Amino acid sequence: MALADRTTVRPPAAGPPPTGRRGPRLRRALAPYALISPTVLLLAVFLVVPVGSVVHYALQHHVVNEPYDDAFVGLGNFRAMLGDQRFWDSLAFSAKWVVAEVLLQLLLGLALALIVNETFVGRAMARALVFSPWAVSGVLTTSIWMLLYNPATGVFHYLSEIGVGNAGTSVLGNPDTVFGAAVVAELWRGVPFFAILILADLQSVPKELYEAASIDGAGRVRSFLHVTLPHLRDAIVLATLLRSVWEFNNVDLLYTLTNGGPAGATTSLPLYVAQLARKSYDFGYGSALTTAAFVILLFCSVLYLRLSKFGRQR
Amino acid sequence: MTGLQHAPLDRTAPVESPAVTTATAVLPPAAVRRGERGSRFLRLFLPLGLYLVFTVVPFYWMLLFALRPAGSTSLLPWPLTLEHFGTVWNDMGFRVYFQNSVWIALLTLLFVTFFALMGGYALARFEFRGRRLFMLALLCTQFVPGAMMLIPLFNIFQTLDLINSRWSLIIAESTFQLPLAMILMSGFVRNVPVELEESAMVDGCGRIRAFLAVVLPLLRPGIVAVGSFAFIGSWNNFLFALMFLNDPELQTVPVGLQTTIGENTVDFGALAAGGVVAAVPVVLVFAVVQKYLVQGMSAGAVKG
Amino acid sequence: MSSMLRTTAAALAALGLLTACSSTGSSTDAGGGAKVTVTYWDNNAGPARTPLFQHLIDEFEKANPNITVKYVGVTSSEVAEKYNTAIASGSTPDVGGVTTALLASLTAQKALAPLDELYAKSPLNGRLAANFLATSKAASGGKGLFQLPSSGNQDVIWYRADKFKAAGLAAPKTWDELFADAARLTDKGANQYGFTIRGGSGAGFQLLSEAYAYSGVAEMFDASGKSTVDDPRNVALIEKIAAQYKATTPEADVSNAYPQMLAQFQANQVMMVHHNLGSTKDVRTALGDKVAGFLLPAGPDGTSVLANPVDGFGLFKNSKHQAEAWKFIEFLDSHASNSYWNENVGQIPANTEAYADEWYAKSGITKEAGDLLNAPGTKLVQPPVHLPQYSKITKTDAEPAFQKVLLGKMSAADFAKGVADALTKAQADYKSKNG
Repeated sequence: MALADRTTVRPPAAGPPPTGRRGPRLRRALAPYALISPTVLLLAVFLVVPVGSVVHYALQHHVVNEPYDDAFVGLGNFRAMLGDQRFWDSLAFSAKWVVAEVLLQLLLGLALALIVNETFVGRAMARALVFSPWAVSGVLTTSIWMLLYNPATGVFHYLSEIGVGNAGTSVLGNPDTVFGAAVVAELWRGVPFFAILILADLQSVPKELYEAASIDGAGRVRSFLHVTLPHLRDAIVLATLLRSVWEFNNVDLLYTLTNGGPAGATTSLPLYVAQLARKSYDFGYGSALTTAAFVILLFCSVLYLRLSKFGRQR
Repeated sequence: MTGLQHAPLDRTAPVESPAVTTATAVLPPAAVRRGERGSRFLRLFLPLGLYLVFTVVPFYWMLLFALRPAGSTSLLPWPLTLEHFGTVWNDMGFRVYFQNSVWIALLTLLFVTFFALMGGYALARFEFRGRRLFMLALLCTQFVPGAMMLIPLFNIFQTLDLINSRWSLIIAESTFQLPLAMILMSGFVRNVPVELEESAMVDGCGRIRAFLAVVLPLLRPGIVAVGSFAFIGSWNNFLFALMFLNDPELQTVPVGLQTTIGENTVDFGALAAGGVVAAVPVVLVFAVVQKYLVQGMSAGAVKG
Repeated sequence: MSSMLRTTAAALAALGLLTACSSTGSSTDAGGGAKVTVTYWDNNAGPARTPLFQHLIDEFEKANPNITVKYVGVTSSEVAEKYNTAIASGSTPDVGGVTTALLASLTAQKALAPLDELYAKSPLNGRLAANFLATSKAASGGKGLFQLPSSGNQDVIWYRADKFKAAGLAAPKTWDELFADAARLTDKGANQYGFTIRGGSGAGFQLLSEAYAYSGVAEMFDASGKSTVDDPRNVALIEKIAAQYKATTPEADVSNAYPQMLAQFQANQVMMVHHNLGSTKDVRTALGDKVAGFLLPAGPDGTSVLANPVDGFGLFKNSKHQAEAWKFIEFLDSHASNSYWNENVGQIPANTEAYADEWYAKSGITKEAGDLLNAPGTKLVQPPVHLPQYSKITKTDAEPAFQKVLLGKMSAADFAKGVADALTKAQADYKSKNG
């Protein structure tokens, strides 16, 4: 996509190696294909075939434990989807979840990157610590936050002993707090992703730009707004896009932490699909929802890249 | 990330020249330092401290449950006990799971890094028919939710007679990680000035030798970044291991972690100790490589 | 594409041979007679149960040197998906642990071999409890025996005997007594609650067994095929339960599954917790003498109606070693093995010879449940687990709805009607397909 075109590749052939040892032209033409062939093969067998199979199931009535009812239903599953309130609810939740997560991760990640980009004693240690949750899996994140949130084992129990709050507080059991609680757990693991990417990009801001800005009398805020942010723009666009897709598709945290509850308050679209597949064994309808999700994601991503004018020269 | 690198020089700094002189400029140096110190606290150490608390408390909570005796409600892991580690490591098979996870993650790292290098080099250095399409396909793979691929993938591995073999995990993980790894790697390759390679070739090296002698050493941060992503991703994978492996002697740490929560039991000590076993390798790997990650990802912009 | 698959397969197989990382191959012993490996999947693996099976397998292998049993532990939360995937791809084990709740799904997919003849010819014939066999047959739709029952897992309410005694209370005999005791034992200031409701995973099963115990309704469907879930007496109990929420139970209940409920029970935060005999060992280990159990109390008309969940073993149709697999199942259900397993878990043995064992006589709640279950007058209600949609209706649909009831966003009557309508429809569907 855009990022491929932006950095114009200088083909090495631009100046053919002046030595006489140049291989036959055919060999050079085939070289890139040979280099990508293992990946193409892997993707074809282990990704394209399964995706095809999901699309195939999306057109079938296929409930695993009702094999006698299996039949081709065409777009029937998609029609059912339009009338399924749980689909719309879960889609709305997913949108809310992605926006909240990505926005907060971006803001906190940006702030964190700016902080650990400063020079101070213990910076290396601080960086290693604040970045470390990034390496922790979703399932383990859940285990940890379950321990923290559970009224029997968690922090609220101890907080109530020093007079803060109520010992029986169950943030995951209350529909008013469960969203925030799940968002915080995911932030814990998600902020470092943005912080690292932005920090990396911050370090590439040429010093001369800041010097120029400071000669022009720009303060900290101004040089942030006029030097740093424009420089970070493409990084931010790409990171938010990748992260949005990832947050949209990721089920393991919500599946294990809230299981979509209470009363469906935290059921995202992929989680709804997972429940359909794992508890209702409804693979046909689940596949249709997956296919729909894929199309929605693709559409939103293209729209986002267009609107953000990603990669265009200013 | 490729897209994160820039050609800074073709972007003229959009700095206006405001006629405002900022306050710092007129203050005497001592006051600057004092004011600076106070503002540094508010601007730097206070938020950093708060964020550190947010990061560290969950880890601490896990360590607390892992290290204190069952039934204790103390906020300090004292008296210290290693019994929960004994339980998970010896009785619940984490010793075997751990070895399996290490092997699977290392082999995934190897495959992903190697193929990403090959493909990344091709993408960065060759203009070929289908390149854009391939790139687009790589990006599109990111939209595919892994969880729904389970059953079709299972059927494929069944056909290949790879169910209940660690290869199924290594292959599936490599497949899902390669696209992004390759895009990343092509960015790193692109950051190595092509002139270096050309001049090596002028000196009589073939392309492969030029690559090995000139490009590869410069790619070290990139390789570390891509490799550690692959290692961590593979180490953390739960669903593939759960579905593709049956033998307990082949299972991995995340699946073992799941077995500490039974239908009838919940052993928080074992759960936390298992969590520590699951977290320590990746968090350590990460602590060591994070500085290369930061370097690696920004290196590109320096050279455009 | 299929030729591409084959090529890849060949390449990958070659790779697998070159490196030592491939999985263990088949285990044919060159010396002596051919050794047969029987794969067994445990449907409820965990730290408490896995060692029991490992012990039994050792014993079995000693007695049958030409058979090796490969144990595969699957946790109960993953087992349904694991079986479904295995069936879809033809990679089922030889023998698998199967509960009555799993049975219908497996038989609908024609994965299990019928056991009627094997059982008729077996020395076990006549030794397994009759009502367990009846439950097994009913759960698979009455088309035969597809699960050899090994154990009854009756519902039970664990309570803190020490706290009850301190408050001068005895174990409640009726639901209304239970709710009154729960109120007495609730002290919110001290973070202590009398009861706890399962609102999270598994809520549907548990709520229905409570409702039928209270209502005394003994049929899931009336003569016209209509579900009885929305019978006013069932609705009354659901309302009473919902009224307990946050009054005598913790706020966290709405999303808690059993492990979290148990955690609160162990942390002295709740005084009564509804589960089943399967957790006997775990509560005893955690709380020792401080805990005791009672069976689900009776409703206003004094009769108690029990569901009868049965654990057992299935023989998979695709097994290449049917004879050896059956031998292993027979061994697991023999007097000695069945007694050993049930004693250590705390469930009711299916092998009636175990009823004469000393441990059983002393087992307290286990024997109490077993006696009641096997008593002639006891009414059993058969949850319609034979319906393929049963899991969808009681889990995917009913659990979020019940959470709404607890949170006051839906009435108990609407909830019950929703479940009843879905079950009525599924039953009609089932009848039309199965005559």
